[in-house]
Amino acid sequence: MSDAIIQMNHVDKHYGALHVLKDINLEVARGEVVVLIGPSGSGKSTLCRTINRLETIDAGEILFEGTPLPQEGKDLAAVRAEIGMVFQSFNLFAHKTILDNVTMGPIEVLGTPKAKAREEAMELLRRVGVDSQAEKVPAQLSGGQQQRVAIARSLAMNPKVMLFDEPTSALDPEMINEVLDVMVELAQQGMTMVVVTHEMNFARRVANRVVFMADGAIVEEAAPDEFFDHPKSDRARDFLNSIMGH
Amino acid sequence: MSAHVVSMRDALYEAPGPKMRRRIRVVTIFALALIAIGIALVVRQFHITGQLDPRYWTLFTRTTTWAFLAQGFLGTFRVAFTAGAIALVLGLVLMLGRISEAAWLSTVSRLVIDFFRGVPSLLLIYFFYLVIPKYGIKMPSFWMITLPVALAASGVLAEVFRAGVNAVPKGQSEAALSLGMSDSKIMFKIVFPQALRIVIPSLVSQLVVVVKDTTVAYVVSYPDLMQNARVLISNYDALVSMYFVVAIIYIIVNFAINQFSIYLAHRRGTKIISRNDENPV
Repeated sequence: MSDAIIQMNHVDKHYGALHVLKDINLEVARGEVVVLIGPSGSGKSTLCRTINRLETIDAGEILFEGTPLPQEGKDLAAVRAEIGMVFQSFNLFAHKTILDNVTMGPIEVLGTPKAKAREEAMELLRRVGVDSQAEKVPAQLSGGQQQRVAIARSLAMNPKVMLFDEPTSALDPEMINEVLDVMVELAQQGMTMVVVTHEMNFARRVANRVVFMADGAIVEEAAPDEFFDHPKSDRARDFLNSIMGH
Repeated sequence: MSAHVVSMRDALYEAPGPKMRRRIRVVTIFALALIAIGIALVVRQFHITGQLDPRYWTLFTRTTTWAFLAQGFLGTFRVAFTAGAIALVLGLVLMLGRISEAAWLSTVSRLVIDFFRGVPSLLLIYFFYLVIPKYGIKMPSFWMITLPVALAASGVLAEVFRAGVNAVPKGQSEAALSLGMSDSKIMFKIVFPQALRIVIPSLVSQLVVVVKDTTVAYVVSYPDLMQNARVLISNYDALVSMYFVVAIIYIIVNFAINQFSIYLAHRRGTKIISRNDENPV
């Protein structure tokens, strides 16, 4: 598995007395799409956030391209710049226009000249279908549009991996697909993705591997068809039954 | 746009029904009557004590009076403007120290902030006026009033800024972190600009306090509006009329500052807050 871009070895994390990540071992290969699912509170979001160290860990190690994640400073920032992240609540910079949101990273972090950054940003916004909104501020856009801008903002950094932390959970139902469509396209283009989601159809269609978590531990890992059709553990069966009930 | 502006009152109370509307009308009329009676009593008292006598008011027909007041106003403006500018910068520096992850810096900043916030500005003025000269440091009266007023305000402004920084959602800095931005860029490009918009109202009230604090300038004999008014009062023996006019000038100035803040908040704030400009009525 020399092709692993992310490796997590025996990762543990506690919030006080709460053991939120229990001996996590996970590898993500270049070009792979890994979907994390599980009941709320199972630690899947926390796991996702440890990969770019928005959450610290208590024990174990996380390697990015074979090197342990730096703990702080410029080295950590440099790694973060290579890992895109899309949040549940979009987190677009509220005081900046859509275009400025997308050019912020390239200009401030990569030192891209402004004109070039704007040009590339407009191209990305066209790709996610919100280029007509470039001069508006985030509050003027719908949730689905904002999330697509957030994806464009991450892509502007040319990341090697994209982390999606429940990207559609805060969206109105009619806007979920427009965001998923963008994500499907990204996956088809070979982007390495770690996706925390409750969208089972998306997982089945796009994932190379489904990782099922419960109570802070990885309970089961399998190809999507295998996992959804023949879950091995009781926890996974219960979970799938509870969400597929209708 | 204006149709969408929701005032605090609309947000906190439900729309009044017919009974409530009647009650509001009655209370309004009653209150207006009380105010009218109050004003009438004051005017009557002025009349009885002779304060309406022309000799107390004719001085306001002279240009020299107004020129002298204008000079004082300029003094007030210079002190308030300089003190306000110093306080804004110092408040920002103190706030950055206060939220620093270096424990010693944070502790020192907190002590300084609490000191300036806790000590009355008059005491600080006495310190600059009476204590510092004893150690051979000569300072123009302008700085004897400006520095203490600035220091007192900087402590409060530091806390105002900090409240604003804390009010910016954590997701904003997390998004910036995930792009690989440095801590200082996150503070100055993402967090602080948003914090500033949040605290504009408190910031302005503090600037009004600065303007009012400058009125103690007479302690150090700096010719501000208040000091010049006192000179005119002793010249013309026109205490009530002069203070009346000066009070109105201060009210107008602070009202103007408030209006300016509302303008600022609308120009920059609504952009983030309002979601409705997309579909104007």
